Amino acid sequence: MATMKNVFKLAMAGTLAVSLSACGSGASNNNSNAGSSTAKPDASAAATPAAQEKKENVTITFQNIYVDPTDPKTGVLKKIVADYEAKNPNIKIELDSLNTDQQKLKLKTQAASKEVPDITIVNPAAQMKPFVDAGLLAPLNDMVEQNGLKGTFQDGLLDFYTFDKNLYALPDGNNIGVVYYNKELFEKGGVQVPKTFEEMVDVVKTLKSKGIQPMAIGEKDTWTGSFLFMNILLRTNGPGFLQQVVDGKKTFNDPAFVDAVSSFEDLVQAGAFQEGATSFDYNAGENLFKTGKAAMYYMGSWATGGIETSSVSSKVGVFKFPTVKGKGNPDEFMLAPGSGFAVSANSKHLKETKDFLNYFMLNYPKEAFAVKAAVGVGQKVDGDYKAAGYSDTAIEISNLFKEVKGGDLSFDNTMNPGTSQGHLTSIQNLFVQKKDPAEVAKEHQTAYDTNKK
Amino acid sequence: MNVLRVSKLTIAAFVLPCLLLYVCLVFVPILVSFYSGLLDWNGIGESKFIGLDNFKNLLFNDPVFWPSVKRTLMFALFSMAEIPVALFVAMMLNRYVKKPNFLVSSYFLPVILSVVIVGQLWKTIYNPASMGGMLNQVLETLGLQSWTHSWLTEPKVAMIALYFVALWQYLGYHTLIQFTGIQNIPADVYEAAKIDGAEGFKADWHITFPLNIPIFKISIVLAFIGSLQAFDMIMVMTGGGPAHATDVISTHMYNMSFLSMKYGYGSAIAAFLVILCLVATVLINFVFTRLERKFT
Repeated sequence: MATMKNVFKLAMAGTLAVSLSACGSGASNNNSNAGSSTAKPDASAAATPAAQEKKENVTITFQNIYVDPTDPKTGVLKKIVADYEAKNPNIKIELDSLNTDQQKLKLKTQAASKEVPDITIVNPAAQMKPFVDAGLLAPLNDMVEQNGLKGTFQDGLLDFYTFDKNLYALPDGNNIGVVYYNKELFEKGGVQVPKTFEEMVDVVKTLKSKGIQPMAIGEKDTWTGSFLFMNILLRTNGPGFLQQVVDGKKTFNDPAFVDAVSSFEDLVQAGAFQEGATSFDYNAGENLFKTGKAAMYYMGSWATGGIETSSVSSKVGVFKFPTVKGKGNPDEFMLAPGSGFAVSANSKHLKETKDFLNYFMLNYPKEAFAVKAAVGVGQKVDGDYKAAGYSDTAIEISNLFKEVKGGDLSFDNTMNPGTSQGHLTSIQNLFVQKKDPAEVAKEHQTAYDTNKK
Repeated sequence: MNVLRVSKLTIAAFVLPCLLLYVCLVFVPILVSFYSGLLDWNGIGESKFIGLDNFKNLLFNDPVFWPSVKRTLMFALFSMAEIPVALFVAMMLNRYVKKPNFLVSSYFLPVILSVVIVGQLWKTIYNPASMGGMLNQVLETLGLQSWTHSWLTEPKVAMIALYFVALWQYLGYHTLIQFTGIQNIPADVYEAAKIDGAEGFKADWHITFPLNIPIFKISIVLAFIGSLQAFDMIMVMTGGGPAHATDVISTHMYNMSFLSMKYGYGSAIAAFLVILCLVATVLINFVFTRLERKFT
């Protein structure tokens, strides 16, 4: 019965999505018809050349993951869309806002029936590859050349969305992995910001002995622990380990990988993470830090916004992930290129959609800066953060960005999904069980061997 | 049937639309799902027909699969074992409580709570004492420190903790079903038994139990199917972790289809689950037909 239900749900989700988009476009066409035939605002009429007024009405579906009304970026999205609609009265942008998990599931259902919305959201590199391979996304090479859009992106960022020299998505962000720490709790525990990983383990032990929870993590979501683990691997091996595995130059049994596992276990065994960490989801884990119950929190810089609006905001500092056993360069970070906007190859209004996305991305950094949401934006941002009233933590982070000398992507952005799931489970297991690092390496290699194609 | 003075054609005309809808929405997807199980497909791109390879891998090479089947069946056994308890509670309510409706509905209350809420509630109960977990705090207050556990994160106890939540949530449901069944037994049967000298548990054994067997069967089937659906509660509380320790068939299917992007493989698991359900239903029916024959 459970299966029937699931299959049924899938089928329904599919039909629902199709019928919704059908109804939606019909209804909105009517709306814009009514709008253009009755009262047209003078300003937009003046801004639009006479020739454009005769253009057919177009509705573009814009699937996105900005659902939280308190997130300033949601406002940014709505403002740019409204501006664009005002300038182009024949175009209606229909927003389909979903939270991340729902969007992922909906897109997969839509993709199975080749009904991808005009604009949708994909994750970088390995996670978007299946969509590219299936020919569902339209190349954007010509579009980024228009109006100098390409130049607004940080150097090298677009590579994560490029396959066979074709660019398929434009990212809304670019983040790095950092360690947030609570200065007050550090003082209470009498510890300093650690310079090496070994010091970090000692800091954990000292804090623990004084009854302070050293680190917080939401390990029910599995990628959280992996993100930290991968930073250790980035130190013991240097960048590009997973690529070396894919290229057949290394295996997971490599000493650098085994080293990373044993270092990670040192941290866990020292009691760094809260009891029952694997039952805390991402938000619950982060809340421990945001409510001042934990001294350290390793996360992508996207967490800055949430931490800034929490009660501990004035006590928070940031430091780079330290060297491990003397190896690695702290200026190499875990990189987290943001989710990207991709255009459906089967879009009925491909030209208009690309034009809109071009406009959207050109205005994005400016509008984000205006609402203090520019930290972690994937494009170059002009402006004085201090003068604009950004907090010290935000400025500290934006300064860290300037020191980035490359690094690695998260495991699931680099590897095929099957191997990634094996990896995530294997790392999660280390939170509840001490295991021989060689054994863990072997688990990874087995997962890789059975999933590579 | 001759009270219904309508032709078979008329009956067919009324039944057919519903039947068609049912076939389209239930049977066709099941067949599609069986077919998908024969594909090497990530759910998006090109699919490749690989025959029974998915099923072969599932049955012989998947280290997660059989343990998850075992957990699912244990789940089913636990929830079926709950039904005699529910029957006992219903009997007691029927006999000793004058106005039992209030009690029955309070037992029933957890059933109407959303599974997500139940999950969150029990998560806070199961948390370690240092994180404010109620169960552990109570154990510590009672001086039973050695009994405390990190209930949801120790691989050995996590699954048992989850079984218990399901038992707690559905006890009221089965009590209600059994209670209704008992109330439908005519009072004069008991009176006749009383004259023959059968009272209390003796009457229960010879009257309540056999007359309630059909109701018992309903409960058992519902419990079994319900426990195969245990997906949502497990997703909320542990997500199948730590390291597959609480994976059941349905969570494994979800992980494979949507996270590992092996849609074909996930469909093979789904097909297995359908077969398992069918076999179980046939088996339960068989056992109960014999039971009913024996007691009536």
